[in-house]
Amino acid sequence: MTPGEALAATGVDARAAGPGDAVAGVTPRWVALPESTGEVALVMRAAAEHGLAVVPAGGGTKLSWGYAPTRCDLLLDTRRMNRVLEHEAGDLVVRVQAGVTAAALASALGEAGQQLALDVMAEEATVGGVLATAAAGPRRLRHGTPRDLLIGITVVLADGTIARSGGKVVKNVAGYDLGKLFTGSLGTLGVITEATFRLHPLPASRAWVTATSPDPRVLTAVATLAGSQLEPSALELDRPGTHGPLTVAALFEGVAAAERAKAAAELLGDGSAISSGPPAWWARLPGERPAPDPAELLQETPGGHPTEDGPGPRLTESSPGDRSLEERVPQGGGFLLELRVPPAFAGRALAAVAWASDDAGGPPVHVRGSAASCVLHLAVPVDTPPGAAEIFVTSLRSEVAGDGGRLVVWTAPPEAAARLDRFGPVGAATLMRRVKERFDPEGRMSPGRLAGAPPAGSGT
Amino acid sequence: MTPAPADLSGLSGRFLAMLGPHGVITDPVRLRTYECDGLTYHRATPAVVVLPETAEQVAAVVRACHETGTPFVARGSGTGLSGGALPRSDGVLIVTSRMRRILEIDVENRRAVVEPGVTNLAITEAARPYGYYYAPDPSSQQICSIGGNVAENSGGAHCLKYGFTVNHVLAVELVTPEGEIVLLDAMDPGYDLLGAFIGSEGTLGIATKITVRLSREPETVTTLLAAFPDVETGGVAVSAIIGAGIVPAAIEMMDALAIEAAEAAVRCDYPPGAGAVLIVELDGPHAEVAHEFARVDAICRESGAFAVRVADDPARRAAIWKGRRSAFAAVGRISPAYLVQDGVVPRTALPAVLAGIERLSARYGIRVANVFHAGDGNLHPLVLFDDAEEGAGERAELVSGEILDLCLEHGGSITGEHGVGVDKSRYMPKMFTAEDLDTMQLVRCAFDPRNLSNPGKIFPTPRLCGEVPGVRKGVHPLVASGEADLF
Amino acid sequence: MDPELIKDCVHCGFCLPTCPTYALWGEEMDSPRGRIHLMKQHVEGTPLTPEMAGHFDACLGCMACVTACPSGVRYDTLIEQTRAEVERTHRRGWDERAFRALVFGLFPHPRRLRALRLPLKLTERLRPRLAPLLERLDPRLAAMAALAPPVPRRTLIPPLVAARGERRAVVGMLTGCVQAEFFPRVNAATARVLALEGCDVVVPPRQGCCGALSVHSGRPEEAARFARRTIATFERAGVETVIVNAAGCGSSTKEYADLLAGDPAWAERARALRFVDLAEFLAELGPAAERHPLPMTVAYHDACHLAHAQGVRAQPRALLAGVPELRVREIPDAAMCCGSAGTYNLFQPEAARELGDRKAEQVLGVGADLLVSANPGCTMQIASAARRRGEELRVAHTAEVLDASLRGLSPAALGAP
Repeated sequence: MTPGEALAATGVDARAAGPGDAVAGVTPRWVALPESTGEVALVMRAAAEHGLAVVPAGGGTKLSWGYAPTRCDLLLDTRRMNRVLEHEAGDLVVRVQAGVTAAALASALGEAGQQLALDVMAEEATVGGVLATAAAGPRRLRHGTPRDLLIGITVVLADGTIARSGGKVVKNVAGYDLGKLFTGSLGTLGVITEATFRLHPLPASRAWVTATSPDPRVLTAVATLAGSQLEPSALELDRPGTHGPLTVAALFEGVAAAERAKAAAELLGDGSAISSGPPAWWARLPGERPAPDPAELLQETPGGHPTEDGPGPRLTESSPGDRSLEERVPQGGGFLLELRVPPAFAGRALAAVAWASDDAGGPPVHVRGSAASCVLHLAVPVDTPPGAAEIFVTSLRSEVAGDGGRLVVWTAPPEAAARLDRFGPVGAATLMRRVKERFDPEGRMSPGRLAGAPPAGSGT
Repeated sequence: MTPAPADLSGLSGRFLAMLGPHGVITDPVRLRTYECDGLTYHRATPAVVVLPETAEQVAAVVRACHETGTPFVARGSGTGLSGGALPRSDGVLIVTSRMRRILEIDVENRRAVVEPGVTNLAITEAARPYGYYYAPDPSSQQICSIGGNVAENSGGAHCLKYGFTVNHVLAVELVTPEGEIVLLDAMDPGYDLLGAFIGSEGTLGIATKITVRLSREPETVTTLLAAFPDVETGGVAVSAIIGAGIVPAAIEMMDALAIEAAEAAVRCDYPPGAGAVLIVELDGPHAEVAHEFARVDAICRESGAFAVRVADDPARRAAIWKGRRSAFAAVGRISPAYLVQDGVVPRTALPAVLAGIERLSARYGIRVANVFHAGDGNLHPLVLFDDAEEGAGERAELVSGEILDLCLEHGGSITGEHGVGVDKSRYMPKMFTAEDLDTMQLVRCAFDPRNLSNPGKIFPTPRLCGEVPGVRKGVHPLVASGEADLF
Repeated sequence: MDPELIKDCVHCGFCLPTCPTYALWGEEMDSPRGRIHLMKQHVEGTPLTPEMAGHFDACLGCMACVTACPSGVRYDTLIEQTRAEVERTHRRGWDERAFRALVFGLFPHPRRLRALRLPLKLTERLRPRLAPLLERLDPRLAAMAALAPPVPRRTLIPPLVAARGERRAVVGMLTGCVQAEFFPRVNAATARVLALEGCDVVVPPRQGCCGALSVHSGRPEEAARFARRTIATFERAGVETVIVNAAGCGSSTKEYADLLAGDPAWAERARALRFVDLAEFLAELGPAAERHPLPMTVAYHDACHLAHAQGVRAQPRALLAGVPELRVREIPDAAMCCGSAGTYNLFQPEAARELGDRKAEQVLGVGADLLVSANPGCTMQIASAARRRGEELRVAHTAEVLDASLRGLSPAALGAP
């Protein structure tokens, strides 16, 4: 039996792949479209028998993140696994299939006055993809990142083994937390097929405070706000130009959101404005193509308690396969970097970005992200020369290293990609490699997507 | 009697050279004081106890264990309730109680760096002058060590709103089971090994330095104590509070028997005649708390509370919490012996499960006191018995086990915060399939292929790790050049 | 060692952070939980080894663990029983025996202490120079010499101090051994305060030791002898209430009935007398005399035998707070023993010194003008630790502060060396 015949024999929907299915330039031979954990296991067993390299994919919005896979025979498209399996409102818990999109989930939960308190930065992003990339938006300040809200997970390993950990109760310490392990794994350990999250009630009201300042001195006020007892849910910054003015925005949620926002506006000083809606750049990655319709954008951002504003509009799901993976990537092929430093060093980090840009011949860098947690996304234009990009990355990485900072290059145009160390040194690289070897001894799960330079001094 | 400790005199000699006589215990009488942690039901006298003072000493001890194939167990304050720090009679007990320096309180970055033997409360006390605190607050917070909290992923009354240890630890320096010192940092990309390590109950290595997040003290804290005629009406109030979209910092419930014990121990002076008391704590910005408080107060009265007390100053709050915090140990005053369980059920299943516990109690003639984190469905049934009575211990064990079955039937868990340890490993196959458990143990094989770090805990049957087949296809240029590790 | 009392311990560990020796060494065997485990081993048949005895001896008997224990374990009773067992069955080394004989032959005997006054006075200047030599000879002797306070002028208190103004009570007063000889000002202040608050104070002459040192060191027979004599003394004095101003004496006199339980007639006589701490008594009585302002800041130190053994914490603070313009500051980690602990600083000088150093650091950190405590041992210990750091600490007893306020003295009058 050929691999193609074996896949067909599983009875799971599959098709031959086309150029539109390419993952970071690597075109698979087949695409499987399973509808359940069981079907994923069937596909994975067939893939194991034939030594196929498998790349799981969700909405594809972040499929270009990380190194290109060294091999990809089978693209495992999870978007047909789009059911909400269990939602017991009284327990504030939801169990979903991995292919459920953020938008669909928000709409389903909104009907019960609840939310998954993550700001997913693209409508088509799936739950599985969000977990695999550990992506989080502004409200990470109050609610954390996907790993903090995930309470149970089901995965299928390279050999087809179905494994579960956690459960559907918010408090549970039985056994190892595989959910944590798979968070940020970029598809290299196995396929995430189901996830259970703890939920939060939708806030009664929201208010944003924004202030624009010509320079990063406004960050002092941001630090004061972050350390205040006003409890902002998010504190973001946006700096479209490398040396340009800086906008900061804080989100308040609750009955007294407006009142707290007023107090925050006083802290942020003259020129700050209070609004009931987010600034246009809120919860979006920098460097994205402009969203097709600003009205749609506002609808997607979960807002308003249903008892006051009525339930949010139900978003129709795009049918799988109607846009190619390349088309679904919002960054349009440019550089997307993630810079993390301890929060007190936000100002120094911004300065470091500017210096590194100067070092690299001045490519414009658009910085946006959490000012209080200091997880910042950097967009650098696609036409930046590979050499300049390399200098920028190396220079910025060494600049923030002293503050314990980290720099990850999530996306890069193909010419530059080969030259960049995407992840930089990782203290636990050796342990990570050993985990990978245990979960996927044949190296068939998204091979090569995740890599870390071993820590200095550890001979691997 | 516990099995006689093995002769590890060769290894002890090496430890003496590393740690000096002050850091090694071999006297049998002294060793026996380490035979159990907070769960006295399981005992084993360690062959040798070491009290290292630095990460390097821990690493040296672990390397010696690894070289000689000797199992080792880490212990902090020894307050665990699942036997997670139960020693091995053929192994070494590594006690971190002398590693208790607070290395840094970094207010600017809202974090603290501490050694594993520092107590949970000591962090809060060190941060308090700056207006910050460490959020997870297990009932034993004045004594439990942060290293133990990391091992168990400890929760506490306030985890309903603030989460667990895993949500508040930013980095861990650990000694791997092979004796290497490695840093797991939340800022690193890749697998969340930090998240996987926290709650691994000492089976993946020993934390030697921990960076925790400090939280800003809330503007207002209000604690409400509501007395109900029985647990059922209290439960109605809990559902109504959650249903109203309120997430209190804590919702705790105690039943009549637990109240009786707490009164005997600390004279907490709860309203007389209560069949159940509910403690609801709200915190945050003043305007939010004031609004939520009014709702909660109304809900409690509508649900049948016959007395509601409010405390908004630290002294009165402490008085309300005193009874709750002392409840476990206080049960010692109304019963010669008891077992504590830690099952969790979905909140909506609480009434059914509590009724089930009552039926079990009646059927076996065993009293059960209930103290629980009602907000997140974490039950702490205290199964009371007289160990002098023939067969009572066995019946208590049966009741205890059936309570866990009940939790699992309702889609819950066998442990919410105490850990599996040695006590509940036999229930793991009821909650997980063999594949689930084998997959979890792949992580263990990656960290500890020789199965030396706290063996015999969590998993009922250890997985043999074997060698990893070295099949790697497709070499990335960075790997070929030795610059990166690719996976 | 009563196995039933041992069984009460559920091994929760709540006592650990309150235990001074656990704070010092971080070892299970030197925590209350570990010591109870050792007791258990012994009652289950393990012979009392020198190692075990060492861990029992290392206990300060501060009873902080009793306060902390949610299960109500009677560690106080257990350690007393254990100490008696150690004295009965454990053979100490000759030097240790000799030193113990010296201490027990001296401290509980006011007349012998009095005899020491002259040599102490004469050697006051010489002792600092002798210290290194003594340290080499025996650190315990060095500790004893270092702790010896300056010898004050003797103050004789008349056998009856009559109430000023309306008489509200008639009370006896225990003068104590060390208190009477080395801190006569405290006794004088106590008598004056009581009289000013409307009490007739009966002070029987030739009082002996109350037995505290003996009962806390595993010498119950000796303690019972002292107890009977003390009871008889106050019976003869015709009082029902006896005021005690030293914490250690207070806790042991309150437990006379238990100590004499083997002798029902004497136990009955013990129960007929009420021994009460000065602060506890004054708080019950309520203020009558006028308080004059004392513009100063004081740090209040909880003596273990007052706070933990007698549960008297709020009353002295309330009394101090009642003095106009007096600010009371709390000392961090207040529940932790200063290391004095009766004779502990004599028998375990290294541990005591380390605890004293820790306490002195915290006391000095408070930045108060005066350290107030209800136990002479504590103030001696903390002041000498402060002296090692090159700081002079003014100390006073609660009674002295009240006395100064009632008599309208200046703050400078307090704690002068």
